[in-house]
Amino acid sequence: MNAPAAHAGSLPDAGDLDSRGRTVLDQKVVEKIASQVAGEESFAGGASGGFLGIGAHADFAARPQASVELAGNIAALRVEVGLLYPVPLRQATEQLRRRISERVTALTGVQVRQVDITVSWLKPAAESTGRRRLL
Amino acid sequence: MRQHAGALNRTWLAILGVLALAGGVLILLIASGTLQTMSSAIAPAGSPVLTMDLHAAFGPAYATAIVLVAGLIIGGLGLWWILAQIPRKNPAGKYRLHRDPASGTTLCDPSVLASAVEHQVNTLPGVVGSSALLRGSATEPDLTMKITVNNRADIQDLLHRINTGVLPDLSTALETPMRRTGIQIEVSSRNANSGTTVESTGTVIY
Repeated sequence: MNAPAAHAGSLPDAGDLDSRGRTVLDQKVVEKIASQVAGEESFAGGASGGFLGIGAHADFAARPQASVELAGNIAALRVEVGLLYPVPLRQATEQLRRRISERVTALTGVQVRQVDITVSWLKPAAESTGRRRLL
Repeated sequence: MRQHAGALNRTWLAILGVLALAGGVLILLIASGTLQTMSSAIAPAGSPVLTMDLHAAFGPAYATAIVLVAGLIIGGLGLWWILAQIPRKNPAGKYRLHRDPASGTTLCDPSVLASAVEHQVNTLPGVVGSSALLRGSATEPDLTMKITVNNRADIQDLLHRINTGVLPDLSTALETPMRRTGIQIEVSSRNANSGTTVESTGTVIY
């Protein structure tokens, strides 16, 4: 899984390459960037708390889970995200896909070919405990 | 909430009924002698239908094997029919919400949407508990709900709130109207623990 990632930026000349060095991005970097970009959307969230994924709860402040498959400079991303309910899911995920694709390409130089999105939970914005508050 | 094998039962009972009716008509025609007048090859009423030796007909091993295989097939069909009587939920598979799979897929498990619906229904006044199940596809979804209310709940008001709040929200999320909606309401003596919440505005009275 720690396969090499992508070469960031453009490579002007092969001769300069050795003298200037190389920048190698681990795929975890791409995953974290994708996760952060997804989490920046106001209608998207991830899971927080729990132990080894057990007992985790939906949280709009948490970053969604992201994984990446790299083939050279081309990436296929998989994002597991929770969304605000009710939002039009097609529109929201399409917006999220576009945003992740653009930002990851802009920040890393990796060409994002696919972003697979799995909606893991849906929650209303004003989450209430359902209990009356003591005055 | 669960589906029964009604259509399967109707189909097979219709087939068996037609076969039994055809057999009855045949026996009636043989007994009345009508069939014998139509064809001389048919044995007349009152005489044995088969004149040959049945032991000789079923003597070869292949005849026994054929009868055994036919029995197993009929027995298997019967067993399959009995098993089909077990009520099933038949939930939908994952909803595919993407437009262009080349740029990536979007999947949403119907249970995720059902949980959101249940959460919303549980906040309605008088609701003790609920369960929701989605069937069909993302473009033609079917919703089935079982709602338990307490004995002080206003059913008409509950249905109004579901029709004006819960169902439109689900339609908004899926971007399509519900194809079918089924609501089963049960009344319980339990209290609604997660009913309407009271949002405080911060006024504290001592």
